[in-house]
Amino acid sequence: MLVCMAGRFSKKKLGSQSSLREANRANLLESIHKFGAMTQVELAEIMGVSTATISALVHQLSDEGQLETHGTVRNGRRAQLVTLAHHNGLAAGVHITRRGLRVVLCDDTRSPYMEHHYPLARNHLPDTTLDIAARMIRESLQQMDAGADELLAIGVALGAPVDKRTGMLAVPGLLPGWEDVDVAAAFREMFDVPVLVDNDANMSAFCEARVGAGSGIEDFVYVNVGDGVGAGIVRGGEVHHGVTGLAGEIGHIQVDPLGAICQCGNRGCLNTIVDEQRLTSLLAVTHGDLTLNDLVLKANAGDPGCRRVIADAAVRIGNVASTLCISVDPELVVVGGELAQAGEVFLDPFREALQRLLFPDALTPIAVLEAKLPKINGALGAGIMAMENEEREALNGGRSQKGKQGEGDESSVDVD
Amino acid sequence: MSHQSTLIELRGVSKRYGSVEALRDVDLAVQTRQIVAVVGDNGAGKSTLVHVLAGLVQPDAGSIAVRGETVRLDSVAKAAELGIASAFQQPQFCENLDVSANIFLGREMRQGLSVRDDAGMYAKAREVLNTLSTPVRAGQSIASLSGGQRQTVAIARTLLNDPSLIVLDEPTASLSVTQTAEVLDYIVRLRSAERSVIMVCHDLPNVFAIADRIVVMRHGAVCAVHATADTTYEEVIAEISGVSKGAVATRMRARASRARMPRSGEAE
Repeated sequence: MLVCMAGRFSKKKLGSQSSLREANRANLLESIHKFGAMTQVELAEIMGVSTATISALVHQLSDEGQLETHGTVRNGRRAQLVTLAHHNGLAAGVHITRRGLRVVLCDDTRSPYMEHHYPLARNHLPDTTLDIAARMIRESLQQMDAGADELLAIGVALGAPVDKRTGMLAVPGLLPGWEDVDVAAAFREMFDVPVLVDNDANMSAFCEARVGAGSGIEDFVYVNVGDGVGAGIVRGGEVHHGVTGLAGEIGHIQVDPLGAICQCGNRGCLNTIVDEQRLTSLLAVTHGDLTLNDLVLKANAGDPGCRRVIADAAVRIGNVASTLCISVDPELVVVGGELAQAGEVFLDPFREALQRLLFPDALTPIAVLEAKLPKINGALGAGIMAMENEEREALNGGRSQKGKQGEGDESSVDVD
Repeated sequence: MSHQSTLIELRGVSKRYGSVEALRDVDLAVQTRQIVAVVGDNGAGKSTLVHVLAGLVQPDAGSIAVRGETVRLDSVAKAAELGIASAFQQPQFCENLDVSANIFLGREMRQGLSVRDDAGMYAKAREVLNTLSTPVRAGQSIASLSGGQRQTVAIARTLLNDPSLIVLDEPTASLSVTQTAEVLDYIVRLRSAERSVIMVCHDLPNVFAIADRIVVMRHGAVCAVHATADTTYEEVIAEISGVSKGAVATRMRARASRARMPRSGEAE
């Protein structure tokens, strides 16, 4: 009977009983990930299945520790509010770039919840942006039905190099207007929790190392190709920062001594020939106004001009990435960021350019993989890093935390 | 092939309400795959312009061309036929019906000639609401929704017939910050899907974040059109309010210094 109801409302093709249950289970978890806490009746409505099906699934998932239920009141009636289990509190990850702000929550299982992206104007102002970020964190917590005290830490990934010693931008001009803003202090003041600030390529590398394409790999390099290029170096499973936090800033390796002046003040940096403005301007005459995203979409749709622009950029970036690979000898190169969304259009020429400049007879060639979480790895990495930092502090400082779980469950985490 | 072409063009459009000149000789062109933001003070004529595009108000003079052909937008149905869908500032709903019925109001899906396809409408409504990432449910009654949720339903309503131009009057007013994020992101996604958007918006940071062009209106006339990349807050604010750019810059500097930001060196 339930199958009939599900069929009637969702018009899905029916398979076997168990595959239907599997699909409903995935659908239920996804709905709560996306919309936050909901009652069973609301879940039934949103998924188009009966309340009995939901009730059975919720029981099963609560037993497995994935969901929690609380009694609540909706429209004057008693109801069961279903939330994701967040046993040991939550961390917020914030990713601020030149054109956008992403906020995501995560718990100690390192799964992302309540991910939101807010587009920002070029040269956005720190006070407005930080205010939006704070409101997004508060609303996301609310949507998860989590109290303010469940927020344990905040991680912030900035789209510019960050000096680890001070938490401030290491190089002026790359995130205009943010040079002397103490982001960590601002969030600490608003939420009264520990705050960790780092460069976004580092955070993304960290995320890929924990739950992404580089999980289980000790030494690899993460290359972020979006509006400009950055890289994060993972050594022994941890991000290598260098003394001032500038390690891996390959976007500022010089590729043309007579090239244009870069925002960093130097001349002919890789970024001056592969940033959004340069790439889209190459197509201005034939294609009109494009954004980086348009460029990638059109390339994926087969537009030859856009494919050419991306392939040429991939070669230039691959050439520089090979320098980094020779310096640090990684097992793997993980590529993420907006341009990497072009898939093989970017990856094939990148791989080729990289391999050509590495040792031709090396016994183990360096593999190139796409990032597993290309959109959210900056924000999620920030959240996970803040969470781990907090867990470490709690262990060291002996702060009493209820029901701490071991780190052994790392391998069973699946984020997708 | 992939070059942008003009989707809709207004030439010399004027509208008078008694002695009030709501629109004065307005020229406006929107390309395919373009987000055009219309900004201006209260009473600048933004809403009238939106009503003209939606087919609700007939201009007294001027012409409108859609894909190069001169048309008369004399009803909402006509506008919809030409691929224009709109959502207004205070969306009107039937309070006694549920969300799905309101989304499909006036264009219910049918099975055969006369039977209403409720299940089909629910499924489609759910699909559209899901793309907007809203917790609003298709079966919820409209009366139980907050202002922001109503706005979401209004936007969902515009997306049903796969329009090529979406006209939004204050799409993010009265929305919470995460909902605003969803709507702005969605507008950007519409653009990626080769659609065009005309959006009236008061919130300049949001305008600068997503618009390709900014049209400034004052006293019923278009007083400036900018490519977003080539203009500044100061310039646009000066044009909206009619004061000099220098005065705006002074005020903005004063505001920046008032905003309490923890800076390096300050004790925390």
